[in-house]
Amino acid sequence: MVVDVLLAAGVTFELLCCIGVLVMRTTHDRLHYAAAGSTVPAFLVLAAVLVREHLSSGGLDAIAAVALAFFLNPVLLVATARVARRIDGHEVPDA
Amino acid sequence: MNAFAVAAMVLLAGFVPLGIVALRSRPIDGLVALEAGGTLTVLILLCLAEGLHRSFEFGIAVVAALLSWVSGLVFARFLGRWL
Repeated sequence: MVVDVLLAAGVTFELLCCIGVLVMRTTHDRLHYAAAGSTVPAFLVLAAVLVREHLSSGGLDAIAAVALAFFLNPVLLVATARVARRIDGHEVPDA
Repeated sequence: MNAFAVAAMVLLAGFVPLGIVALRSRPIDGLVALEAGGTLTVLILLCLAEGLHRSFEFGIAVVAALLSWVSGLVFARFLGRWL
């Protein structure tokens, strides 16, 4: 039962993030939803997996996958936001 | 079919809006959709690995998380410099 609730919430939030990427008008607004996809929904799905797998090797792999997505995604989104600003004609200091 | 397999299939529907953005919007918006798709792929692989009871396949989700990040950076660099 716990797994079902966690999965339903995780899937719902993830699909809402995908729809947000579609519905939003500007690139920067879309970036918000793309970023949100690797936070709450990912941890809800991870929690569901850990309820089943506990800390087995599969559970540790799942923690690694979600941690990678959670910690690396902001770097990627900032890089994308800088590119979007440059494409829109704003001056962006070189990194 | 268990809850994880159902969750994986429902998550696949998330690629429809992302595909629409990638096809109809500017390249930079397509990149944003690609990045969101990378996260979606990681979650689908997690659900499939658990739903099919193949715990060794969780490693694929780890590789997917890493490679979708690298590919996003490559595209961002490409869009920023040469287009």
